[in-house]
This record gives sequence, structure tokens and C-alpha cells, in this order.
Amino acid sequence: MKKVAVIGTGNFGLALANLLAINNEVLIYARREENVQKINIKREHKGQPIHERVTAVNEFNQLTKECKLIFPIVPSSNFKEMLIQLSPFLSPEHILIHGTKGLHIEVDINTVETLDKSQVLTMSELILKETSVVRVGCIAGPNLAKELSEKQIGGTVVASRYNEVIVEGKKALNSNIFRVYGSNEVLGVELASVLKNYIAIAAGMLEGIGYGDNSKALLITRGMAEMVFFGKAFGASEKAFMGLAGIGDLMATCNSKLSRNFRVGYNLAKGQNLLEILSDLNEVAEGIKTIKVVKLLAGYGFNSPLADALYKIVYEDWELNQGMDYLMNLPVSDDTDFFTQKDS
Amino acid sequence: MPTRKTIKKPLPSVVKEMDEWPIYKAYENPDLFLQKVKDLVKKNATWILKDDDTLRNEIKNIVYQEKMRLSKTPWKSDDPKEKIFWSDIKKQVRSSKAIGTEEGTKEVDERILNQILDFYGTEMIADFKISSFKFAQKALPYIYSRLINSFPQIVYKLFSSVDKLYDRMKIMGDVDHIRKLQEIGTVVVVPTHYSNLDSPTIGLSLNNLGLSAFTYGAGVNLFTIKSLSRFMHNLGAYKVDRRRKHRLYLETLKSYSTIALTENVNSLFYPGGSRSQSGKLENKLKLGLLGTVIDAQRMNLEEGNGKKIFIIPVTLNYHYVLEAKKLIEHYLKDKGKENYLEDENTTSFGLIKRAYKVITSNPGMTISFAPAIDVFGNKVDENGKSISSTGQKVEVADYFKLNGKLVRDVQRDSQYTQILGDRILQEYKENTVVLSSNLVAFVAFQIIRKRFSQFTVFEILSLPKDETTIQTEEFILVLAKIKEVLLGLEKENKIILSSDINLGMQELMKVGIKKVGSSHPKYVLKRNKSGEISTQSMKLLYYYHNKLTSYGLEQYI
Repeated sequence: MKKVAVIGTGNFGLALANLLAINNEVLIYARREENVQKINIKREHKGQPIHERVTAVNEFNQLTKECKLIFPIVPSSNFKEMLIQLSPFLSPEHILIHGTKGLHIEVDINTVETLDKSQVLTMSELILKETSVVRVGCIAGPNLAKELSEKQIGGTVVASRYNEVIVEGKKALNSNIFRVYGSNEVLGVELASVLKNYIAIAAGMLEGIGYGDNSKALLITRGMAEMVFFGKAFGASEKAFMGLAGIGDLMATCNSKLSRNFRVGYNLAKGQNLLEILSDLNEVAEGIKTIKVVKLLAGYGFNSPLADALYKIVYEDWELNQGMDYLMNLPVSDDTDFFTQKDS
Repeated sequence: MPTRKTIKKPLPSVVKEMDEWPIYKAYENPDLFLQKVKDLVKKNATWILKDDDTLRNEIKNIVYQEKMRLSKTPWKSDDPKEKIFWSDIKKQVRSSKAIGTEEGTKEVDERILNQILDFYGTEMIADFKISSFKFAQKALPYIYSRLINSFPQIVYKLFSSVDKLYDRMKIMGDVDHIRKLQEIGTVVVVPTHYSNLDSPTIGLSLNNLGLSAFTYGAGVNLFTIKSLSRFMHNLGAYKVDRRRKHRLYLETLKSYSTIALTENVNSLFYPGGSRSQSGKLENKLKLGLLGTVIDAQRMNLEEGNGKKIFIIPVTLNYHYVLEAKKLIEHYLKDKGKENYLEDENTTSFGLIKRAYKVITSNPGMTISFAPAIDVFGNKVDENGKSISSTGQKVEVADYFKLNGKLVRDVQRDSQYTQILGDRILQEYKENTVVLSSNLVAFVAFQIIRKRFSQFTVFEILSLPKDETTIQTEEFILVLAKIKEVLLGLEKENKIILSSDINLGMQELMKVGIKKVGSSHPKYVLKRNKSGEISTQSMKLLYYYHNKLTSYGLEQYI
């Protein structure tokens, strides 16, 4: 049986390790020795039972020697640091398929007024920059960790420039409970999986205010249009946004209290303070950072009214209803303008 | 760090005995070479051998296209026997049984396929004759001295010795490293392409570096005079017919290049395809032949010899490009690709005549060899070991491995070719040598452009002369600004500045104006006694200016 690796013991990392264990021996890297013990001895971590074929290690050397297919599942804020430590052990023989739905920003976003495209990297771009690995891909889609850990049926997309990576990803992950699709639209898939985070915050807000399904459907549809505008401005095609990483992930995260980003929006609408919410969450809500990144990239001329309104609510103390007013009074464009226009 | 130096005299050959040169060994047994090419075509062209129907249809399609080519776009260089060959193939196809109905059809088609491949291979294959090479090496100075007798006395004086030639022809790069890599592996030189003069220029440069001879593809249109064709053929030129676009021919061409590389033969190709019509630095490459370096590297590893292939991008930098006017007019008419029919007029003799004209009247050229990279675009150290962008030593074999084994994957390798192409473009940019002529052209055109910022390029090109005159003061001001930016870029290793650029502003302006496109009937730039700078040809000014448009300098005007 093939041996593959997962880096990261967050909820999604653990769920993915269990899914991979259906077809493979799995090594999972845990930074802390106590977590290695929990996984290897207790066979349980963060409330998830650990598959018998999963073994935790805390040495990159061993992990990279034994596994050529590696799935890094680490928050975007720690991704670069992880890569710097991992890089000396990697060679072009390794294949990395990450599952991190975030962006790496080369500067401190709290100290700049605008961002240049070159300062914004997707995780696969960061892997290419920081390591000697070339065969890179990502997994993205409606993959809420809790449901995956409960072995509910689901699906994902493996995206890469390299068909070889897609095939290896499929072989490793595909099972009778998890369907794996392929795509060469890696940039689009990565951007979709990042951008849906702030749409989920808005969806949480709507639900928190008490709006129903019509409102949310409007939000999801126009949210997707906004994602496409952004993607196109960055050189991605609209294709990926129509797949599992785009509309698929939007459907899941905008409708689920399991989504951290959704909960942020929901609790904001319920009157909780952002700092309080984030500290209660105890995990990263990428959407908050994404709102700011989108704002700082506004110079590229894409249309992003939702991100603009969210920015004002989250960072400039606008009331929710001010944001709603702003959005509902914007001029309307063609229903499917994202197919025809670069931005509207 | 590479040590860039300029060579002024030919260096001794790295491998002294020519019969030890890979090119000699590879072409010593042409039948064996062609058999390898044929085997590789059949291995890779799985689409044509998919089933009997496909093979038959492909053969019919090839015969049709070849016959059309001969009747619609005939060239002087076409071998009269070709017509007979394709008629015979057609006859064989007709006389064999219908598809899939009779036993033996497949065998017949495979036999026909073999005949076609033999035909292409025999037409394509180059040779390497030591006697021809030695003759070329020795005769060059004599040919020059004979030819320059027909030029005005002033040119004769300027060009009275071969040493003077090398004064005009600056060859720079990490020469020692390149020579060492030649001992370790195979060298592939990929130059920028501006002029028909590029091939003789690069040929002479490679010889001066002391590298074993290179094989290279040359358009069949250059093989018009029998004795000269034979000469080129004997110097490693394989024939390429750009009129043939069908997959089997392209596959044969790629296989030819791959086999030459696996036989360790140094190779040369222009990844930009045709000459840059706009005068701009290449920003897009044709990846077909370039991909053969990846194939060949993998095959070397599969063979277990691990011979490494090193890519050396080269930029050719001219003060004067003879065909600039024709090229820029084509570009402006948005004709796109080179018109090969017109290229037919470029006979071998025509090319030599042009070469002499340019060399004897040229204010100079710089051939800049970039640091070598491996087939994945990694830098290589002094021993040829690959170093990734993160500074780690990497093995080329690892790029081809999947689950521990070397694997052929066409889609993956096409992505690798793309990566290599991007790296070559980056090297072109960083190893472009800014000549005084490019700089003054850039400054002059941009001043005019800024003056008419609402105008399109086409409108600017049609401006009357009095609208495009520039005062010296204004010119110097902008020149100083751009020079400063260029100095900054050079510090960051993003461009190379020629020694002229270090001159004081007045001198730099004078030298640049004197050298820019100096031999065109219309002057590109001229400064009169009252200090007004003007041009007789906005198109040519635009052409020479374009060389520096990839660096974002426009914002400083």
C-alpha cells in the first residue's frame, strides 16, 4: 500500500488523513510531541477518532523520505514558516497538494494602503517560490471537516497544471464515500476557495439578521459573480468558479453553522464584537483577512461591492443595515454579467 | 556567481581532435542516426498508429498536403524527385486494398509510413565533414579580405584585419563555465532572433568560444545553390521545411532534434521562431523544438548515462539591422507570421551578400551569453550541478520520477517546457545589452510619444518631420533620467549596459545617434548644428526603440 503524508493536525487535516487512510498508509505531521502521542496512542484527536492506518510523526526528514505525495493542510498564516522548515527535505520528486483556503501576503496588510498583485500569492505559488517542488496542486470544495470526519458522503476537486498530480490525488483520495474531480484551473480553484470565505461571512450576517432563503440565494449568486470578477482580474478563467471549489463550496459554507466564517458573520449580526468572536472561535477565519486583501487590491478595477460593504462593517464600524442599504441601492447589471464582462 | 568576460580572439577548441566531436560521431553513420529517429517517431506518434483507419487516413492526408505544397507554394529548392516520390506513394495507397477489408492492409500502410519517414529523414539529415569545417575556419578571413576589395577604400581600411572584426563583434558571457559545461554534457544555444545575419554571427561566436560544432535547423529556402548547400549540410545544418505543418513531419523534426541531443551533439535553435518583426525582445516562445531538450534529458537518464543538457540563452544586440525596414513594415501591417514565400528570396548567396554588407558597415554588435541553466530552468554550478531557485542542489532525474521511477508523461513535460520557456525569456531580459543606439532611439521616440500622448502609435508614426524634432536640452534631460534607471536595473542584474552607456551625456548622445541604424538609406536620428534632433524614418526609430520596451522605462519619461 502506498504511503502518503498530511502536514497539519487541524480539523481538516485530521479528517483528510482519515479519508486518505481508506486507500493508503498515512503519516501525519504534528508539530507538538503531545499531539503525536494523542494520535498514536489514544487514537483520537480533537474529537476525531484516528484511522488505524494513520501514524503521527514530528520529523520532516522521515515524512519526506517515506512519502512522495504530501498534503499540507496548514493555516495560511503559518504556511510560509512551515515551508521554510520543510523545504530542505523536499526535492522535485515530491508532489504537494495543499488544502489551505487562504492567501499569503508578502507584506503586513495592516501597514499598507494598497497591494500589488506580486505581493499576493496563492499557496501553490508560495510552494513554488519556497521549495524545489514543481508538481503542485490543491484540493478544494465543500469539505466541512466535521462532516468529513463523520464519514458523510462528499466530494472535492484536485486542481493542478499537471495531470499527473490530479491522477495521483484522485488515486489517493477517491473512495466510495468521497468523489474526487480533477481540474487544470488551479489558480481559479485556489481563488474560489479563498474568496468564498467572505461571502460566507455575509451569509452568516443575513441569517443572523433573520433573512430567509431568497436573500441568501441572491447573496450567493451575486457573491459568485464578484468572485469571478476578482478571479478574471487575476488571470483565472470563470470555469473553476462554476465547480465544486466555487459554487459547491459556497453552497456549503453559506448554509452551515459549521463554517467558521459563517459563524463570524452570524455572531456579528447578533451584536457580538469581532475581537470577542475571533477569540471564541479559537481558529482562523480567513474571510476577515480576505475582506481586507480584496479592498487593498481595489486598484485592479474589479467590481467588489460586497467586499466593500463588508470592509466598512468589519473595519470601519458601519452598522449592518448601512451595509445592506449600500448594497441594495447599487445599480443593477445584467444577470450573468460575469460571463460577458471582465468586470462590471 | 558567473564571471562575465569579453573575448576578443578565438579560443582553442575544448576538444581538440575533431573526430572526437559528438557531431562527427553522430553523423558518421547516417543510417544508424536515421533509424534512431524513425524508431523514436514511431514510439511517440501513437496517434498515427492508433488503428488501421487512422494510419490510412493520416497517410492520405499527408500525401494530399505534400502535393498541394508542391503545386501551390513551389520553391526553387524543391527536389524535382519529390513529385515522383509522392505520386508513387499515392499509387501505392490506391493500389492497396480498402481499409480493414483485406489482410495485409496494415502491413502495406506501415511500409508506406516507413518510406515517408525515410524520405523525410534523408532530406533532413545533416553531415559533419572535418575538411569543410576546417576550411570554414581558415577561409573566413580570406573571404573577407577578398570581398572587401569590392567595398569602398574607407571600409577596407576599417576592416583590414580579422582582429578588427572581433573589435566590432563583442562576445561576452561566462566563457570558462560554458567551455567547462561542454566537457560535462551537451550544450544547447537558444539565441534571440532579429536578423538573417544572426546565424553567421552566432556560428562565428560559438567557434570563437572553442565549442565543438553545433547542429541546427536551417530553412530549405537557404539550400538553393548546390555548392553552398553542400557546404552548409557538411557543417551540421539539417533541413527544415516550414511549409510542412502536418504532425508527422513535425514529429520527425522533433525526433531528429531529440536524437541529436541524446547523441550529445551541441544544438542551436531560435525558440522565438521567426525574426522579431517589431524589434522588441521576444516575449513569447515557440515551444515545439524546445521541448525536445526535456525529452532528450529524460532519455539520457533512462539510458543510464545521465548526460546533462545545458541551455544557454544568448542575446544578439545590433546597432544596425539590415532588414529592419522590411520587418517593421510587416509588423505594422499586422501580417503576423513571416511570409515564407518572400523568404524564398533569401538565398544562401543573398544571405552572404547581406552578411558582408552588415559586417563591413556595421558599427558593432554584442553577443551576450547568459549563464547556463538546466532543462528545467535551474541555474547550474561550475560542475554542472543544478541549483534550484531556493539554493538547493537538485537532481534532474527527480523531475521525471513518479513513485520512484522515471516516467514519460507528455502533458507534464509540456508544462516543464513552458517553465523552461519562461526562464529563457527572463534570461533574455536580464542579458540584453543596452547599446547607445537603442538608448537614444528609445529616448527620442518616447519624447515624441509623450508629446502626442493622445495619439495611437500609428498616428505618431505618420507625424510630419517638424512635429518630431527634439531640442538637445530636452533630449539630454530625458536621457539622463533613463540612464539613471538603467544603472539601477544593472545593479540588480536585470540588464547589461554596454561600455558606451558610461560616457558623459553629450558624448553618449552623439555616439548613439551616430550608430543607430547607421547604414539605412534614411537616417534614423540626426542632430543638426543648431542642436535639433530629427529622424527621416519614424518607423525605424520605433523599431530600434522597441528593444527597450520590456523594462517599464516609459514611466520615467
